[in-house]
Amino acid sequence: MRKIENFVKHTFKDVSKEGKAELIKSVTVSLIEKVEDLIELGMTEKEAIDKAVTEFGTVEDFFQVPEELTRKEKRRKTMNHYKNDLLFSGVGSIIIISILLYTNLYFNPSILWFVIPSIAVLWWPLAILYNLLNKRENRKEENDE
Amino acid sequence: MISSDIIRGHLESVILKLIIEKDMYGYEISNYISDKTENRFNIKEATLYSVIARLQKKELISPYIGEKSHGGKRRYYTITPLGKAYYEQKIIEWKEVKSVLETLLEDKS
Repeated sequence: MRKIENFVKHTFKDVSKEGKAELIKSVTVSLIEKVEDLIELGMTEKEAIDKAVTEFGTVEDFFQVPEELTRKEKRRKTMNHYKNDLLFSGVGSIIIISILLYTNLYFNPSILWFVIPSIAVLWWPLAILYNLLNKRENRKEENDE
Repeated sequence: MISSDIIRGHLESVILKLIIEKDMYGYEISNYISDKTENRFNIKEATLYSVIARLQKKELISPYIGEKSHGGKRRYYTITPLGKAYYEQKIIEWKEVKSVLETLLEDKS
């Protein structure tokens, strides 16, 4: 029965801490019950354990139903987050650029030097936009799979 | 063996129904499902235990340790009043889904 315990522990090794011990315990108990039933039906202990282990399925089967929902939910949150970032960086850079423009025109309107720092500032929203587009692309790919 | 999303979406109701009929332990449920459907549907233990864990968390079923008819102890599950109400709700929903799909998918004779 050690074997069953190790198998269950190994299967759920990447599960988040919360409720992990409880999960492992209850699955182990259920699998041991199955092994005992199979032995009663005339299998040897080794056969029974092998059968229980092979028929168990994978950790993906275990989380299929709830996990899918939370993953989608999580992703939507990050997408909104990225959009907020983009808005913030856009407004921020517009403010900075207008201050630069004002200073430029006020003090030395003959040379349009404000363009140079403005280009530097523009990298801020551009980087965020790049990130957002990448995220979208990833999402499309995942949906296609 | 079929393993469709439609069945997966109704596993909670299926397991609740079996437990309403009779208190069962984990492996008994999976065995019973295979027998009753003549192996047209086999539930993977991994899936079964995750559904059971979820039902238990929602307090729709509750476990107790019981004696098997001959020999060992088993962790049996029994239905709670909440579980029964939930099941009745779900069965109404299922009938609705079934009639909608029938209307849409079946040939008109």
